[in-house]
Amino acid sequence: MNKHQAVNIIMIEDDEGHARLIEKNIRRAGISNDIHHFTNGTSGLEYLYNHPSGPAQNGPALILLDLNLPDMSGTEILGRIKAENSPLKRTPIVVLTTTDDKIEIQRCYDLGCNVYITKPVNYDSFADAIRQLGLFLSVIQVPDFPEANG
Amino acid sequence: MRRSLRGITLSDRWFNRLVIGAVTLGFVLLVAVGFVATSTILENQAQTRWVNHTYRVQRAIGRYRGLTERAEAVRRGLLLRTDPGFYDSFYRTTREIEPALAELRRQTADNPRQRLNVAYASSLSRRHLFLLNRSVRLLRDNKRDAAIASFNLDERSPLIWELRRVGASMTAEEDRLLAIRNAEQRASLARFYITLGVAGVLLVLVGAGSLWIIIHYTRDLARSRDELRRLNADLEGAVFERTADLQRANDEIQRFAYIVSHDLRSPLVNVMGFTAELESGAQRLSAMIDKAEAKAPELVDQAAKVAVRDDFPEAIRFIRASTEKMDRLINAILRLSREGRRTINPEKLDMGALFKSVADALRHTIDERDVDLSIEPRLPHIVSDRLAVEQIVGNIIENAIKYMVPGRRGRIEVRGRLEGARAIFEIADNGRGIEPRDHERIFDLFRRSGQQDQPGEGIGLAHTRALAYRLGGTISVESELARGATFRINLPVAFTGEQKASI
Repeated sequence: MNKHQAVNIIMIEDDEGHARLIEKNIRRAGISNDIHHFTNGTSGLEYLYNHPSGPAQNGPALILLDLNLPDMSGTEILGRIKAENSPLKRTPIVVLTTTDDKIEIQRCYDLGCNVYITKPVNYDSFADAIRQLGLFLSVIQVPDFPEANG
Repeated sequence: MRRSLRGITLSDRWFNRLVIGAVTLGFVLLVAVGFVATSTILENQAQTRWVNHTYRVQRAIGRYRGLTERAEAVRRGLLLRTDPGFYDSFYRTTREIEPALAELRRQTADNPRQRLNVAYASSLSRRHLFLLNRSVRLLRDNKRDAAIASFNLDERSPLIWELRRVGASMTAEEDRLLAIRNAEQRASLARFYITLGVAGVLLVLVGAGSLWIIIHYTRDLARSRDELRRLNADLEGAVFERTADLQRANDEIQRFAYIVSHDLRSPLVNVMGFTAELESGAQRLSAMIDKAEAKAPELVDQAAKVAVRDDFPEAIRFIRASTEKMDRLINAILRLSREGRRTINPEKLDMGALFKSVADALRHTIDERDVDLSIEPRLPHIVSDRLAVEQIVGNIIENAIKYMVPGRRGRIEVRGRLEGARAIFEIADNGRGIEPRDHERIFDLFRRSGQQDQPGEGIGLAHTRALAYRLGGTISVESELARGATFRINLPVAFTGEQKASI
C-alpha cells in the first residue's frame, strides 16, 4: 500500500469542450489530483500501459471513459482494461458518455465498468453530476498494483 | 410466352381478329354454298322433269308408231283371212291413233321442230287412215279383189314409208334432246357434288376455326381466371411486401435518427455548458461593475455597463432558449428511435376496450373541452403490440381533441371494420381539418399544419406513422380544411413479425 502516491485521473474523451467542462466541475468539487486528458483511444491506451508515469508502471489511477471515440469504441478500451490478464483490471473505470441506451449500459457493466454516468444535456444537471462524481472520487478507495509492482 | 391479364400482345390481337374474321367469312360462304346447292338441286329437278318429259314424248311417239304399224298389220291380216274378230281389233286400233296424235301434239307443244313433225305425221296419218278404212270397207262389202288391188296400189305409194320416216325422225329428235338433257342433268349433278364438296371443306374449316376460337378463348379465360385467382392470393402478399418495405425504411430512418441524435447531443452539451459558464462569468462581471459603480463610478463606462447588464444576459437568454429547443427536438428524435428499437409483443387486443381505455386516460381533456367521443360497438379484435397501438390511437385522439374548432361542439367518432386480413380503424372528427397539401406533410418529423396556436414539436404523427409501419400497418388521413379530419389506421389482423434490420 502506498498511501502517499496520489491517484491519477485519466480522462479519455474526444470532445475538448466536454473534457474542459468535466475538469472544471471536478476541480469545483475540490479534487486536485492530476488529470491526464487524451482525445483518442490509441494515445489513451498508450499512456495507460506504456508511459513511465502511466498507471501500469506507476501507481493507482482512475479512468474516465467516453464511449464515442474517433478511433475505437469505448467498450473496446473497457474490454481491454478489464481483461483477465490486464495489469489494470482492478482500476476503477467511470464511463461518462452521452449514450443512455439500455443495451449499451448493460454491456459496459458486463465488461467490468464500475460506474456508468450519462452526461445530461442540461448543463446544470451535468455540472451537478460531475460535482457529485468529484465528491465520490474524493472518498473512493483505489487499489494498488501488487501484480504490476511486485 | 407468359401473358399477364392485360398483356395480350398486339400481334395476338391481330391474329385473333384474323381468325374471327376468317370464321365469320367461312359462315357467310357456307350460307352462300347452301344457296348454290339448293339452286343446283332445283335446277337438277327441272332437268329431271325435262328428261322425264322426253321419255313421255318418246313413249307417245312409240305408241303412235306402234298403233300405226298395228293398224297396217291388221289390214294385212284382214286381206289374208277375213276373221270378224280382226274388224274389232282394226277399229279399236284406228280409233286410238287420233288421241295418240293429240297426246303427242300436246307433249311436243314446246318444240317447234317436233310440232312440224307431228303436224306432218297427222296429215300423213289422216290419209293413211282414209286408205285403211277404204280397204276395210271393200272387204266388208266382200270386194276382196278390189281391196287387194287398192292395197297393192297403197303398197306402192310412199305414204307408209313417209309415215315410218317421220316416226323415226321424231324418235331421233327426242333421242337427241334426251342426250342433251341427260348431259345437262349429269353436269348439274356434278356441279351439285362439287358444291357439296366445297361445302364439306368449308364446314370442316369453319368447324376447325370455331373450335380453335373456342379452345383459344376458353384457355385465355381459364388463364385469366387463374391469373385473377393468383393475383387475389398475391394481394395479401403484396400488402405484406409493401409494409415490409416500409418497415425497412422505417428501421433505417430510426437508426439514422439514433446516430444523429447522439452525435448532436455532444456539441449541445458544450454549447449549454459553456453558456452556463459564460453566464456565471457574466454574473460575476455584473457584480463587479455594480461594486465599481458604487465605489468608483468614473471607472465604469456606459457601454460596458450596457454590455454586462443587458447584452450579455439577452444573448445568453437566446442561446439558452435555442439550445433548449434543440435539446427538446433531439430528445424527441431519440424517443422516436428508442421506440423503434423496442421489441414488439403481439397479444390479442380487444380494440373496443383499448379505445375506451385510451379515451379514459384522456377523460380529463375530453371533459374540459366538452368533446363528444363515440366508439362504435363491436370493433374488430386484432393481435398486435398493445403499447404501440395505444400510442397510435392515443396520439390521433389527442390531436383530434387538440385541434377542434373553438365554439363548435367537438365530436369524435371511432369506427372499425375488417377487410380480409386487415383491420381498418377510422377516427373521424369535426375539427379544423387539414389542408390537402399538408396531408403527407403532417406525418413528417417536426412538420405541423395550419395555425400554430397549440403547443407541440411536430413529432406525434411522425411517431404514430413509424409505429404503424412497425406493426405492419399504414396510416393515412382524409380531410378538408374546416371540415374535420378522418385518420385511417390499417393494421394486419394478426401481427406476423417484422423484417427488421438489426441496429
